[in-house]
Amino acid sequence: MVVFYRRMPRFEYLKPQRFEDVLELLADGTPNRYRVFAGGTDLMDQLKQRKIDVPETVIDLKGLAELDFIDFDKSSGLRIGALTTVTDVANSPEIDQHYSALAQGAREIASIQIQNRATITGNICNAVSSADSAPPLLALGAEVVCATGKGERSIKIEDFFTGPGETVLQPDELVKEIKLPPPTKGSNSVYLKLAPRGRMDLAWIGVAVWAEISAGKFTEVRIGLGAAAPTPIRTPKAEAALRGAEVSQKNIEAAAALASGEAKPRENSFRAGGEYRHMMVEVLVKRALTQLAG
Amino acid sequence: MSDQPAKIGDNWPNLIGKRLPRVDAVEKVNGDAKYAGDFNMAGQLWMKILRSPHAHAKIISIDASKALDMPGVKAVVTAEDFKGWSWGWGPQTRDETPLAEGKVRYFAEAVAAVAAEDEETAEEACALIDVVYEELPGIFDAEEAMQDGAPQVHDYVENNQSWDFHMDYGDVEKGFAEADLVREDRFETGRTLTGFLEPPAAVAQYDTAGITIYAAKQSPYFIYRQLASCFKLPLSKVRVIQPYVGGGFGGTKNDSTAGDFCAVMLAKKTKRPVKFVYNMEEVLTTCRRRHNMIVDCKMGMKKDGTITAVQTKVIADGGAYTAIGPLTMYLTGIMTTLPYKLDNYKHDAYRIFTNHPVSAAMRGHGVTHTRFAAEIQMEKMADELGIDPVEVRMKNAIEAPHETINGITVDTCGLKEGLEIVSSSTAWKDKDKNKKDGPVVRGVGISGTSHLGGARQRGHQSCAAIVRLCEDGTVNYLTGASDAGQGSDTVLVQLVAEELGLTMEDVTIQRVDTAVTPVDNGSYGSRVTILAGQAAQKAAQEVKRQLAEAAAKVWQVDAEKILFNDRTVFVDGDPDKSMPFRKLTQIACYSESGAVIMGKGYSEYGIEKMDFEKGYGNPGVNYSFTSQLSAVDVDLETGMVKAKDFLIAHDCGRPLHPVNVEAQTQGAASQGLGQALYENFKMHEGRTMNSTMVNYMMPLSTEHPDFELHDIITDDPHGPFGAKEASEGSIISTPPSIVSAIHDATGIWFTKLPVTPEKIVLALKEKKERENAQKKESE
Amino acid sequence: MDKITCNFVVNGSAEEVSFPPNRTLLHMLREDLLFHGVREGCSHGECGSCNVILDGKLVNACLILAAEADGLEILTVEGMADGEDLHPIQQAFVDESGMQCGACTTGMILSTKNLLDANPDPSREEIKDALAGNFCRCTGYAKIFESVEAAAETMKGGQQ
Ligand code: FES
Ligand code: FES
Repeated sequence: MVVFYRRMPRFEYLKPQRFEDVLELLADGTPNRYRVFAGGTDLMDQLKQRKIDVPETVIDLKGLAELDFIDFDKSSGLRIGALTTVTDVANSPEIDQHYSALAQGAREIASIQIQNRATITGNICNAVSSADSAPPLLALGAEVVCATGKGERSIKIEDFFTGPGETVLQPDELVKEIKLPPPTKGSNSVYLKLAPRGRMDLAWIGVAVWAEISAGKFTEVRIGLGAAAPTPIRTPKAEAALRGAEVSQKNIEAAAALASGEAKPRENSFRAGGEYRHMMVEVLVKRALTQLAG
Repeated sequence: MSDQPAKIGDNWPNLIGKRLPRVDAVEKVNGDAKYAGDFNMAGQLWMKILRSPHAHAKIISIDASKALDMPGVKAVVTAEDFKGWSWGWGPQTRDETPLAEGKVRYFAEAVAAVAAEDEETAEEACALIDVVYEELPGIFDAEEAMQDGAPQVHDYVENNQSWDFHMDYGDVEKGFAEADLVREDRFETGRTLTGFLEPPAAVAQYDTAGITIYAAKQSPYFIYRQLASCFKLPLSKVRVIQPYVGGGFGGTKNDSTAGDFCAVMLAKKTKRPVKFVYNMEEVLTTCRRRHNMIVDCKMGMKKDGTITAVQTKVIADGGAYTAIGPLTMYLTGIMTTLPYKLDNYKHDAYRIFTNHPVSAAMRGHGVTHTRFAAEIQMEKMADELGIDPVEVRMKNAIEAPHETINGITVDTCGLKEGLEIVSSSTAWKDKDKNKKDGPVVRGVGISGTSHLGGARQRGHQSCAAIVRLCEDGTVNYLTGASDAGQGSDTVLVQLVAEELGLTMEDVTIQRVDTAVTPVDNGSYGSRVTILAGQAAQKAAQEVKRQLAEAAAKVWQVDAEKILFNDRTVFVDGDPDKSMPFRKLTQIACYSESGAVIMGKGYSEYGIEKMDFEKGYGNPGVNYSFTSQLSAVDVDLETGMVKAKDFLIAHDCGRPLHPVNVEAQTQGAASQGLGQALYENFKMHEGRTMNSTMVNYMMPLSTEHPDFELHDIITDDPHGPFGAKEASEGSIISTPPSIVSAIHDATGIWFTKLPVTPEKIVLALKEKKERENAQKKESE
Repeated sequence: MDKITCNFVVNGSAEEVSFPPNRTLLHMLREDLLFHGVREGCSHGECGSCNVILDGKLVNACLILAAEADGLEILTVEGMADGEDLHPIQQAFVDESGMQCGACTTGMILSTKNLLDANPDPSREEIKDALAGNFCRCTGYAKIFESVEAAAETMKGGQQ
């Protein structure tokens, strides 16, 4: 059966005003009873297309004003609330300065219209491998703080994604905020997106690199790849190869080749084939590292 | 009176050639413009279509009882309701039914439709219709479909051959024998679509008065005839009303959709108006597309660059039904003899049925494919012979007057002038200087192409105008020609106002209402300005004649001496004898009881004989010529290409509305850019894998280069004020110039559209490996 | 699914509307309030033809529930003109012929407003970037860019 829907399926709408109230609703546990959303740019589209099971009730989180914040502190790092929009992240001078890759990733997401509604948290909860915020968060060492009625836990971003469209989030669990470690001396980050058009495309390959350079050496490096595997991934081998290595074109190229080997792209996507994507991981990692080596 | 208005003063013409605002601009910026989906009728139901989940399957049974039991559902239609009625191009090829009958032939073909109180309910009810299918093996490749034993899309068509078309002029074998170089290459054009932003929509009513339908149609008189035939009604009882149309570009909006027929059928069944709006994914999955074509091209060339013969063979993926395909095949051949001199040409075109969505027309219909192939091959051969790309074109370019070997007559031709303009630009002259070091490299390419204007379809070309004078001196202008956004309403108003010496504001154009406006074939083949323009001029001249008679009586002079300008009527050479246009209108209208000032006119083009079977004779009234330079930046590491500059020199005879001419040239080039670099449906077993706008990737604001445009004025003897087509030329010239630019940057000739980053990177890798291997060998 | 009732200020006038909770902002504006200048192209947030300015921010109305906009201000293209007088952006689109079929035009105008409110003197590149969420198939964008530039020019003049 094929029907091209223009209308939303039927559901109820709730907009709680307190965080605890949301957790209480989610504790219910009945499948397809509730579905939370913040910006709704992904959820509404998926519901319209009947790509996901239709919940009885959608819960609009925008009543929880306390979750809309960007909080930066030089010593404790950055906290981004679950309701913070992509636009706010893209425009934050602190994020731009200390977490450049994330600001760049935010600016690469779809259009201005979408950025004004979508949240960074929603972007990762949707768990699409090509999400532009994911490689920066991986490279910047983010943690996702999640809450249930029973308590909170903090999950490393690399453990957050479990498969295409899947995360470790339990049905009764809600992301509260995303935490990033404080900037360190000599560190910088960059996000490069490969896509044919200047905007709107999903990343064909997204590469974020965070590197700390001191005395001509890479002291620490983290690399995040998007659209290079079923989920956003890190590249431990390439990172290990660079750790302590001299900043040189040769080392950069060797690491880029390793990163390419760590990618596991789909062989046949309508966007581009596996061989091409492997090659592009190499090109982009090389470019990102070269840029940071400056 | 002469055909052209009398020349009045130095500033004549007053309106033609002026940069005037569009007549529809204000409505379009303030939100007043109403499109089909904006119309609602009292008591209307909403319709939704249920579509097939298989690309090729027998329909065993359809049970709609559960859907019909659902509250709010009013009726369901299936193929049975249409009693075997089918439509298509020409009597032999009416093979498409409004809803699939017995068998589905492409993925998401329409199978049933529901009318309900609201759209949600109609959508939900579709899910309750139980259709049992028996899947059949599908065929998804045109060449495979031609083989014996391939699954048959239509039982009565062997080897899935939908249509074939052949031309054979001169002696190609002799031509190849005379050549110093003969090349054979295979080219392929992509699977693309028109890409209009407004999805098909309509609201339809069926009652004792007949059918009334507000429909998003670029050529409303097609559906007018099809509805009359389908519902066995006289044409006088079919009223198609054309609201503003959100883009057409051929194909879908030049034809009927399943939705149109079903909405009318459901309106008939329920005695309530029925409305539907397609969704964009439905458009990208099921609507008409441009044919994907394999073009085998063989060309002979002498050492000096002279082309001695061309032979082309086209295999086109026609999809599941014929639609307008026969005309497409004709156009792939007929125009190959332009714009370069050619004495020997042979062409064989095969349109093949597959289990893909239906292929049909799109801007640059048919011509784009073979011109792309021949243009690239010509340059490739010149490259081999060490001849400059400009020189080879200049060598072969036709000059007017010219008659092609298949009887196309060209009276004006600005090709050489255009090539001179693009090749004397600094972008071309300094192209080697501007080459950047990698990884991003600048490439510059050119092309020189031609297109027909005032398309003629096998002779009959109804195209008329009625100009009705209101007693206050304003004008209602009725035309069957339709503006899908291209700006033709503005040009036509300009022509009427110019003729009558009025202002643009004095003339109101009536958009098509088949109960009111005179019949017209439609907006395709760049025919509106030329044909409807001529009709408009003639109707206005007829009004002028009547008015001049009235004025002649007043002033006791010869009617020939009456002139119209600037809302004033006066006697030539006697400036004292003048009065406002409005006053003369009143005199004329009240001159005798019952007097009504009204003029009609119709286009006389299209009478000339042409041989559709052999591809002989004029397919158009006249021919435009486009020379283009494209500059692109190619990232040699990622294969990403960015268009930087388009310099287009277009011979459209004379731009009547220069702003619209520029806009059309830019818009067509934009679509050509999409086809060259980005757009292509990826198919998997009949399914479209990239059926959303994001994934189909049409160029956005960020992809567009800077445009530099040049008008070449050639004043064609046919066409109003010397005009030729201005809306399709650059969709033909853009892809070859881009491919030529990519060659300039990479040293590789790409022959398959679109040229994607992946193709570029892999080809560069292969080239490097080949060069390394050669180096090793020579060591 | 009982109807819910919400309040909006649309183009300056207060509106109370009842609709089922699954109604999108786009369909509420088009069907309940009859603002058909808010158009539906793609239905998926990909084309910008449904653009409105919600609570001061440019958004795609097709991806938002009407309920989410409860209590907020909405500007549609119908609210741009001052009576018969077109907004300078609209006037610039008329003067420069920044449209063909018009399907994208109303969305383009709101995106232009969003751009010029924040950046009164944008470069060509900034204009391209600001309009990337608005698809146009007809124009090749050149005359749209020129319209935006002309609008910026007149609006700057007005401020002085
Ligand atoms: S209709 Fe909303 S973005 Fe296209
Ligand atoms: S004017 Fe038609 S889509 Fe922009």
